[in-house]
Amino acid sequence: MTRTFLTRLLAVSSLISAVAIVGWVHQSPDEAGRVALKSNHPTTSPDDEILLGRSLVLNHDCAGCHGGVSPASKQWLAGMTRPDQEFLIGPCALKLDAKPCWRTRPRNLTPDNATGLGRFTERQIFNALRYGLRPEDTPDVDITSGTPGVGNFPQHPHYLAPPMPWPGWRYMSDRELQAIAAYLKRAVKPVSNKVPESEGPPDFWASAYTVDLIGPYPPPAFPAANERVP
Amino acid sequence: MAASLAMPIVPVAALRAQPVVVQQVGSKPAADTLRNPPVLRNISSRPHTVEVNIVAAPARISVLPGRLTDVYAYNGSIPGPTLEAREGDRVIIHFRNELPEATTVHWHGVHLPANMDGSPFDPVPPGGHYDYIFNIPRGTAGTYWYHPHPDGRSEYQAAMGLFGAFIVRAANDPIATLPEKLLVLSDNRFRPDGSIEFADSNSTQSNIDMENGREGNVLFVNGQVMPSIVIRKGEVQRWRVVNASAARVYRLAIPGQVLLHVGSDDGLFEHAVEKNDIVVANSERVELLVRGTGKPGSDVELMDLPYDRYMPQTRPADWNTSRALLDLHYSDRVMPAPVTLPTTFRVVPALDTATATVTRTVVLSQGMINGHTMDMSRVDMQASVGATEIWDVENVVGMDHPFHLHGFQFQVIDRNGVPEPFRSWKDVVNIPKHEAVRFIVRYADFPGKWMFHCHILAHEDHGMMAVLQVR
Repeated sequence: MTRTFLTRLLAVSSLISAVAIVGWVHQSPDEAGRVALKSNHPTTSPDDEILLGRSLVLNHDCAGCHGGVSPASKQWLAGMTRPDQEFLIGPCALKLDAKPCWRTRPRNLTPDNATGLGRFTERQIFNALRYGLRPEDTPDVDITSGTPGVGNFPQHPHYLAPPMPWPGWRYMSDRELQAIAAYLKRAVKPVSNKVPESEGPPDFWASAYTVDLIGPYPPPAFPAANERVP
Repeated sequence: MAASLAMPIVPVAALRAQPVVVQQVGSKPAADTLRNPPVLRNISSRPHTVEVNIVAAPARISVLPGRLTDVYAYNGSIPGPTLEAREGDRVIIHFRNELPEATTVHWHGVHLPANMDGSPFDPVPPGGHYDYIFNIPRGTAGTYWYHPHPDGRSEYQAAMGLFGAFIVRAANDPIATLPEKLLVLSDNRFRPDGSIEFADSNSTQSNIDMENGREGNVLFVNGQVMPSIVIRKGEVQRWRVVNASAARVYRLAIPGQVLLHVGSDDGLFEHAVEKNDIVVANSERVELLVRGTGKPGSDVELMDLPYDRYMPQTRPADWNTSRALLDLHYSDRVMPAPVTLPTTFRVVPALDTATATVTRTVVLSQGMINGHTMDMSRVDMQASVGATEIWDVENVVGMDHPFHLHGFQFQVIDRNGVPEPFRSWKDVVNIPKHEAVRFIVRYADFPGKWMFHCHILAHEDHGMMAVLQVR
């Protein structure tokens, strides 16, 4: 991963929105560090859920990889449009010709039916963020476990390609992940942009996303072995 | 089911195993002439009736030269024997299952009653029997085929050798005088001892087989490797090609010749279409006219050109290789008289889109239809007998899915919004990666539960299938 990307990743890991939304009343964070957004426009009041989702999409910098500079830009979340937006995953990231090498590509997150998320449900998008499961390869069902074959978790999971940071973002609350899915499906304009399929190993990254490598979900109770009560 | 008639069944032992190809040191081995599979014997003497016996049983036959392989076979031959019938015939198949597992026989593409379709709803248990009885509607002459369709076991049983052709002829066939060849295409993989190889479960190859469908590295035509066909100067031959592979897509071409594409799954087109190469997805059929235009005495090969149907994660390293299927020898014998072809082969009446009552959207993702896998207890769509509907089938993933609907033949309207240049009857349509196809279909005559699914057999077995109930 590039240095810029890592810096960006660290910068947006905070759950508190730092973005001032024009026309909205700023509220103080609640105990859990979340900001409740309330409209002060009496006639049109979009869903709180949509605005929460939008806020999370902004402060997690989805657009940093998935395209667009702001919600006002044409290619907002419409996926890779230039070759430099591709990622090289594997030893080739350090040494160009090293193998194995996979090129992964940020997909179109707009609700376009043919090229975006239009044909997937909010539940499938939720499962992608919570469990890393590719919506096109995973049935539209409630998943209640992270163990293959249990609670509708697929026997042979197909994961989103790195460097999609879902292993960290899965720790957002259910409400937050649902809000992101709702925003993407309902409040973003569909844009037609066919991003070629990412490359990857035949196990669809299953060996890269083991518990040993990415940690357990849910996280261990506080205080865990490397933590202490202040 | 009516009790089966006490009719003699062709003993498996009476059928000869395929001969071994002899290699001559120092010279190119003579290719075997393409042989037709045996034809099922009609045991009825009633007019307009075809009555046959088919037994599915384990066998040990020569599939590769010099070795014997444990297989499943219909009446001891691979491909299974060809069922020949005419439009308007009543067809009666006495089927006996001598396999160690349940099976069915699906008459792929034929318009018949739901309980004669060989769907997974009507399994024939090991040791059991089933009489498939149906009438062949007029106007449906074409190249059909038959193969197993049990729940979850189609890929295995087909790989073990169960598939055969089913040719329906028209009384007024416009090209009945042309010499005809049947080409049943299949592929397989073998261990060094000659046994059929299936990947160990949980191995990398097993993942690849599940994604791509199981492909083999040995390509057969009528169970032969690189057989030969001879064509005379000036001759026109009619080739009926059946793609009986579990997953492989063929892109057929003959170097130096433009093919005449004259028919698809469910019969002839109205007019011939010139094509440099023709994509035949699995379970599709094509009818080609091949011409003796090459230099007399020379040989060319029927080629299977590369076609990228794959997801990059599981694309085979050698996908971009052309493979030869058979040798075509241009003989120096000349046709006694020039061959003339009709300009119009038949009339394909249009299904009027104005009569369509609804458009169904069917989303194909990887292993799923509309986000779900097959549930034998669930009906996914309800429709009425006699209704005409438009289906909009969208493939939203990065590999091709060949889409098949049981029971009712359809006409493709457009692909990605581009209108289909001409009408034809089909029952399978390949939906390439990230593309969409619309077709129009009328649910004529037969109520019941009808399957629709991806015809990559591994996908079908793992649940990329759904149920249309017609009432």
